Amino acid sequence: MRAIDLQRRLERHSGWLIFGILLVSSIGGLVQVLPSVLDDGLATPAAGTVPYDPVALTGRDIYIRESCSTCHSQQVRPLLAEVLRYGPFSKAGEFAFDRPFLWGSKRTGPDLHRVGGKYSDAWHRIHLLDPRAVVPDSIMPAYPWLAERPADSGGMIQAKMRALRRLGHPYTDAEIEAAPAALQGLTEVDALVAFLQGLGASGSGGSP
Amino acid sequence: MVAWLTGFAIFWSLVGMAAGIYVAAELVWPTLDFGREWLSYGRLRNLHTNVVIFGFGIAALMGTAFYSVQRTCHVPLFAPGLAWFCALAWQVVILLGGLSLLAGWNGGKEYAELEWPFDIAITVIWVSFAVVFFGTIAKRRIQQIYVSNWFYGALIIVIAMLHIVNSQAIPVAWSKSYSLFAGAQDAVVQWWYGHNAVGFLLTGGFLGMLYYFLPKHADRPIWSYRLSIVAFWAFTYSYIWAGPHHLHYNAVPEWVQSLGMVMSLVLLAPSWATLVNGVMTVAGAWEKLRTDPALKFIVLSLAFYGLATFEGPMMAIKSVNVVSHFTDWTIGHVHSGALGWNALITFGTFYFLLPRLVGAELYSHSLANWHFWLALAGVMLYVLAMWGAGVSQGLLWLSLDEIGELRYSFKDIMASMAPYYALRLVAGCSFFIGAVLMAYNLWMTAKGRSVVRATPPPVVGEAW
Amino acid sequence: MDALLTPWRFARLITRPAEAGARLAADTPDTPAVLLRLVIPLSLIPPLFAYIGGATFGWRLGGGEPLYISPAGLTLISLAYFIALVAGFLSTAVVARWMADTYGARLEFGSHLSFVVLVGMPVILASLGHLVPHVFINLLVMIPALIWSLYLLYRCLPAALGTSQERGMLMASSLVAYLLVASVSLLGITVVLWSGGIGPNLGV
Repeated sequence: MRAIDLQRRLERHSGWLIFGILLVSSIGGLVQVLPSVLDDGLATPAAGTVPYDPVALTGRDIYIRESCSTCHSQQVRPLLAEVLRYGPFSKAGEFAFDRPFLWGSKRTGPDLHRVGGKYSDAWHRIHLLDPRAVVPDSIMPAYPWLAERPADSGGMIQAKMRALRRLGHPYTDAEIEAAPAALQGLTEVDALVAFLQGLGASGSGGSP
Repeated sequence: MVAWLTGFAIFWSLVGMAAGIYVAAELVWPTLDFGREWLSYGRLRNLHTNVVIFGFGIAALMGTAFYSVQRTCHVPLFAPGLAWFCALAWQVVILLGGLSLLAGWNGGKEYAELEWPFDIAITVIWVSFAVVFFGTIAKRRIQQIYVSNWFYGALIIVIAMLHIVNSQAIPVAWSKSYSLFAGAQDAVVQWWYGHNAVGFLLTGGFLGMLYYFLPKHADRPIWSYRLSIVAFWAFTYSYIWAGPHHLHYNAVPEWVQSLGMVMSLVLLAPSWATLVNGVMTVAGAWEKLRTDPALKFIVLSLAFYGLATFEGPMMAIKSVNVVSHFTDWTIGHVHSGALGWNALITFGTFYFLLPRLVGAELYSHSLANWHFWLALAGVMLYVLAMWGAGVSQGLLWLSLDEIGELRYSFKDIMASMAPYYALRLVAGCSFFIGAVLMAYNLWMTAKGRSVVRATPPPVVGEAW
Repeated sequence: MDALLTPWRFARLITRPAEAGARLAADTPDTPAVLLRLVIPLSLIPPLFAYIGGATFGWRLGGGEPLYISPAGLTLISLAYFIALVAGFLSTAVVARWMADTYGARLEFGSHLSFVVLVGMPVILASLGHLVPHVFINLLVMIPALIWSLYLLYRCLPAALGTSQERGMLMASSLVAYLLVASVSLLGITVVLWSGGIGPNLGV
């Protein structure tokens, strides 16, 4: 009967009800999510994982802008067939500089975490601008505008790198200083291809 | 105001579904974007999900929350000016937010794509929503707080918590920010958010709607009040744990995945307890069906609620998930919930609510019947198409031949999806046409009439 | 009245939904009779078509080469298909009978079973599409059949099971819920078996 008494009390006092809901719903988060967020092991970069250089970072932000992760995952699961199809399975440390993470939840197209180096730059360029020129059955959208715009038309690269440095990405002053020059003369498609070619480069070894 | 919010909800449902149909068509004819950025799949798809969940879903929930909280507390709304602000400012956020998504502003997290200026605006509106809602409860003239209000209350509180934590980011420009969390940690936080946005908004919030409008429609009390209490607390406690089932076999710790799977299975109990409660409430009120087309929608929505809440825990089992993850099966599951449960119960509620609000009979019962059939066929076909597509994808991707090599290339598997995607398009159109009929029907019902102002009914004793 | 219990009569009834309910209500068939004369023979049809189609043309699942399954494998799949169909008919009838009290429907199991057969009939006939084992063709044939089945379920249930229009509508929706949950369970069980190593060779 005591449970019912408690219930009556909650039912009659809105403050108690609010408190009760907050308490009950936060337990799961505290026990499950908080330890993960505080777990340094998940945030430690894997060997060979370094912050994105200015060109790849710009490319990554274009990847986010066009929501590529809606159809392409970046997460090779530790399953025999996936390792055969895509390459070594993904490990937490490889994503230490991914803000936000882009693992995705759907593979309308193939996984891209190990796509780096699998195709030539020229192939990627044609494929992004007109996918059906290289894959006749493809249902991927074409992105012709990527070839028409300078990579950093907003001139944001230094602000981006400084923001990331505040979050702990080890960019030096010299790197930030040199960033606009690195992007000079590149188009959006160049930056995106650079990002794709760098994907999964740090993944070495690993089998299910 | 409730009538306005109803109107907005219908409007956003049509916009959201139209965007959904368009992206579904793009998967069949990929050149349908005509090389335009704002018609590109990646951007339109975000518009589709955001407008449906936050435009349609929240407008419907806000409207019905404001309606039912006044009637269950027997007082008018607390701070009506603030309530108007919530209702209108929300529509502005959805409109501008939707445009920003088309412009390519994207936070990159699924179901939380809106950039930080919108995140702040949402927080402000949400807090005002909470003030109005809990303010109304605080000045109630009935001692007991009715169960529908708890679900609406949990919606407001938990969504605030999730939204504020998950949206933490460092802004770079109006259109760009970087998440405070990185990589695997970001993934855990995001799916804690993503899964519970579904849980407390699309399940919990709409259960609030069910608990108020179903007994009202059926004109009899809920079958078991005690069951509803137990189900509420079990639901609030266990839903929050289930997020990591979106990350099975991903690079997050094993214990997080396993805990997520176990708690997802536990979740079936409170979900189906509510189902039993709902079904038993209508089962005793069948005479009402003769006069009330709305009840049909609610009955069918319960069937799909039963499917979705069973399918979800099942797909959270790792050995099912290994096949279903990353496939269209997930898309089918989401839509059996969103179309079958959320949309149908909302349509049912609107068919009930709007004629009452304007004091008129529904314009056409036969149009409502057509809507019912189109909706049923639409959801059914959608779910079947995605089951077919999803299971084929999962199976064919993993399938090996006798010497242990991959049997099918990704390209071939993708090409074989065409019939399913075409069928899904047809299904979506069927559902959409039904919704258009509803919009017309309700418009004709409300045309030329003004809202009937109800005075709060007198308090009649204590229910408990 | 035994003449009613032939697959042929049932196939004709589905084209006359207005009459079908009343015809079913007119007598109370024996459970064993329904089982032997309708459920089992009808459940043999789709697996048979699937076997013939699969053996002759191979299943086109992916866009690649058609998948030829060995005769032994094909027999096993057809057998499983048959068992699933019989189990489907029986379990749906059991669920319908179980709900009969709540919705004030008639209580004879034979009636429930024959009603379920009536509802399943369009899909059984559409399995003719299995002869051409191409996913697209099968979808094209199955979809209208399925919609017709759903229509029969809602339309004929009140008359066939002797309940009012309104309660029949509720009962039909409850059966839809059961069928959805049952099919998704079947899907889940199959997938668990696959990933557990039974059936096709998966790299998990």
